[in-house]
Amino acid sequence: MNIKIAVIEFAGSNCDLDTVHVLKNVIKGVEADLVWHNHFKESKYDGVILPGGFAFGDYLRAGIIAAHSPAIDEARIMLDDGRPVIGICNGFQILTEAQFLPGALLRNDSLKFICKWVNLKVVNNNTAFSNKMNLGDVCALPIAHAEGRYFVNNFKELEENNQIVFKYSTEQGELTGEANPNGSLENIAGICNIEQNCIGLMPHPERASEAILSPKRTIHGKLFFESMVEFIKRRLS
Amino acid sequence: MTRVNIDGKEVYVEMNSDEFEKVKNLLERDPNITELGMFDVMWSEHCSYKSSRPKLRMFEDAEKNYNYVLAGPGQDAGVIDIGDGYALAFRIESHNHPSAIEPYHGAATGIGGIIRDILCMGVRPIALLDPLRFGPLKDNSHSQWLFKYIVKGIADYGNCTGIPTIGGEVEFDDSFESNCLVNVACIGLGTIEDFKNAPSRAYNSGDYVILMGGSTGRDGIHGVTFASRTLTDMSEADRPAVQIGDPFTKKMIIEATLEAVKTGYVRGLKDLGGGGLTCATSELTGDGNTGAKVDLKKVFTREPGMNSYEVMLSESQERMAFIVKPEGLNIVLDVFRKYELNFAVIGKTDESKVLKVYDGDDPIVSIPAKALSESPTFKRQEKRPSYLDELFAQKTPKPSLQFKDIIYRLIASENICSKEWVYRQYDHEVGVRSVVKCGEGDSGVLRIIGTDKFIAASVGVNSKHCFLDPYEGAKGGLVEICGNVIANGAKPMAMVNCCNFGNPEIPESFWYFSKAVEGMNDFCRTLRIPIVGGNVSFYNEDEAKKTAIKATPIIMILGLLVGEENIITLPFKNAGDDIFLVGETKAELGGSEYHSVIYNLEGGIPPKVDEAKIKNIWDFIFELYRNELVKANHDVNKGGFIITIAEMCFKNKLGVNLDLTNCLDDKLRDDELLFSESNGRFIIETDPKDFDKIMNLANNYGVYLKKIGVLIPQSEIKVRGLKNKDFKLSIPKLKEYFDSTIPNLMER
Repeated sequence: MNIKIAVIEFAGSNCDLDTVHVLKNVIKGVEADLVWHNHFKESKYDGVILPGGFAFGDYLRAGIIAAHSPAIDEARIMLDDGRPVIGICNGFQILTEAQFLPGALLRNDSLKFICKWVNLKVVNNNTAFSNKMNLGDVCALPIAHAEGRYFVNNFKELEENNQIVFKYSTEQGELTGEANPNGSLENIAGICNIEQNCIGLMPHPERASEAILSPKRTIHGKLFFESMVEFIKRRLS
Repeated sequence: MTRVNIDGKEVYVEMNSDEFEKVKNLLERDPNITELGMFDVMWSEHCSYKSSRPKLRMFEDAEKNYNYVLAGPGQDAGVIDIGDGYALAFRIESHNHPSAIEPYHGAATGIGGIIRDILCMGVRPIALLDPLRFGPLKDNSHSQWLFKYIVKGIADYGNCTGIPTIGGEVEFDDSFESNCLVNVACIGLGTIEDFKNAPSRAYNSGDYVILMGGSTGRDGIHGVTFASRTLTDMSEADRPAVQIGDPFTKKMIIEATLEAVKTGYVRGLKDLGGGGLTCATSELTGDGNTGAKVDLKKVFTREPGMNSYEVMLSESQERMAFIVKPEGLNIVLDVFRKYELNFAVIGKTDESKVLKVYDGDDPIVSIPAKALSESPTFKRQEKRPSYLDELFAQKTPKPSLQFKDIIYRLIASENICSKEWVYRQYDHEVGVRSVVKCGEGDSGVLRIIGTDKFIAASVGVNSKHCFLDPYEGAKGGLVEICGNVIANGAKPMAMVNCCNFGNPEIPESFWYFSKAVEGMNDFCRTLRIPIVGGNVSFYNEDEAKKTAIKATPIIMILGLLVGEENIITLPFKNAGDDIFLVGETKAELGGSEYHSVIYNLEGGIPPKVDEAKIKNIWDFIFELYRNELVKANHDVNKGGFIITIAEMCFKNKLGVNLDLTNCLDDKLRDDELLFSESNGRFIIETDPKDFDKIMNLANNYGVYLKKIGVLIPQSEIKVRGLKNKDFKLSIPKLKEYFDSTIPNLMER
């Protein structure tokens, strides 16, 4: 079984090559293609990742121009038939702008770009990007964004539908204000749609999948991509 | 400014009357206004290096004398062969004047410019580093404004283009208050084939000349002549000479350029920076020994009605010039179309060796292609400033504070404290290459994916030391920056520099430049480090105070190491391990942070470099590495080794029992021992069982080595063995001082 994942290159994506690198060289048993956004055709792929970066320069508002790319129409077909659609950082911003996911990502409360390693607590391990983790697991990943403060009006609904996937926490898994790097509502770092095949998160698993890149030699980022592969396998079997 | 008569009109030019005569001789006629403007820009200090060139000739020929150097000075960037078929390009340049006037866009376009320099070597930009200088932040809203927006300008531009900022250096000093320094460095990685495919020359006639990227506007006209004079109150009026950057377009240009180079049809490549289209077309053809015919009607402009003078001299950002084989024209243009970039085929190369510019059918410019690079040079006068004797004679007052309070003040000082506030704003991890990240080591270490090689990069120099003695200070900068990459386990491979000095027409200012160049030259020849590029920024003067900036010959070093297991890091690792001081401490408090922070003194005897001893230390360190004897290493600089030790304690919450009895010397006072910034020293952590082996090796290499302490699990540094009484430092308190200074100044 050949699993094929597309990584979309929008004009201005800049974590595209990093994501392809991890899929090809770190995660075993997947094929990954870097696909220019105007050329993307969903039919060839089992899953799609919208990578981090500054699609269309984040002009107007982060993610909004990319949300109108033809690639999003293709991704919507995948969303509807249950294939995994993942947005990392800028990809998360695009998914909220395209209304694949609820809420919005606002400017960090510090008003500054922040690049640092944070801890994420897993609060839903059923999704296409978290099924290889245990509930309550804490993952170390870096963030790098200026607009990552998650906000949603109907938080209750999100909670009831089990759409919150990752929360910023301390290393011990406590959900403190200190552990929240950007002022996100309820420490939210990543969410999913009700069907749990579409996930968006601000931290970068592709930067945390190899021990050599991690301050504490962890490889928690790998679990995210392995979850995606597992999800595809279950779907296809 | 010189007044000259052109076509019956009087105009002002920056060049002097002798230079104007030379222009007429080269053309064998009077220039027209566009031609004159082109000469004026290309012969500016910034483009022509007319004051510095005679001095810089003393550097050895890196391309000739080092087999791994692929491109040396004179090219857009230095390039070295690192094996496995890969080439690294790197360069550093200044963007001081624009940033002092308009910090955000000045710094951002500095980043934009250095990225283009690397890109036009045909390789992918993979890292940025930025040494910066400001006036002190405390109680100075102007310095805070410059600092805040320069950092933001660098962050916004670098982050958007997806190039990690992996290092840098910041110093604060009164002399930079109105003339801050923004130096920007970039590293590029590609295959040797990529590099060879993209010379910055048009060697063939009949190739197309293509302009790609941003449109040409009226911004930045004469930006380089603005950079070639002193900033004054009137400089505010020069703000239109500062360009506006567009990092998104730059990102598209990077991808399109790399993809175009891969087609194999690009035969020459040049960025449009200082001097704009004039510089790009004349250097491509002049250096390639060809000529070209270019039509300005084809150039896409941002506004209508731009005349030929404006189009030829515009320094609008985000533009590249390509020389493309005729048979590949459409393939290359399709790449540009994919990225939705503007482009225009503006002309063709020919054999004429003349640059001919037309406006439709009207001939505008006809200049021998090489003439624009044949600027006259100037032999500048140099004179050692008379104030130096007085400064050297300054004595350290008797300490009025206890040592522990001095150390707490030093670690909280603006020049020593943590720069986390800066690097948190930089994406320093994009590219998944960053192995030793900002704040974790003396240098930034990147992996070369697909090989077991790593590069280490560091930038900086000590401006206070250079102010007292530019010759020794420049050498000291080399010792420190090489020491940074060595501390991480890498061997220094090559150097580029960025010389920031005052007005070269003032003999005292030129003396600083001249001595710094001599220092770099002597050191690099002795230690066998090729100098593969440089940039000179003169006219960094404070017009109000009538003083120059402290001389700042920034050094950038690239080092190479093989094998992940050979990366050495800064934090102390295990309680019970030995702490050694490598290298001798001398009574060299001149220009130290101790003098400046505690006594507000600039003078004293600054550190001197002994190349033979430095070489022995480096050889010894690498011998220890080969024998896997070093668990942590950090080079000693600002504040002396006591600060170095404190920084090594922070991460793993270890402490140290320091016993300095071994270092006691009748000639050395306690404060000299603790706070001297003598060059070439390291603090290393080793296993106690290796003690004899290490002492024997030090003996063999003739290196000064003293065991000065043992790591302990308690969070304190206990100091004994001084002539004065023992004292203790709390590590949490040191860390608190270290971390809070800049946030307290910037976030209130």
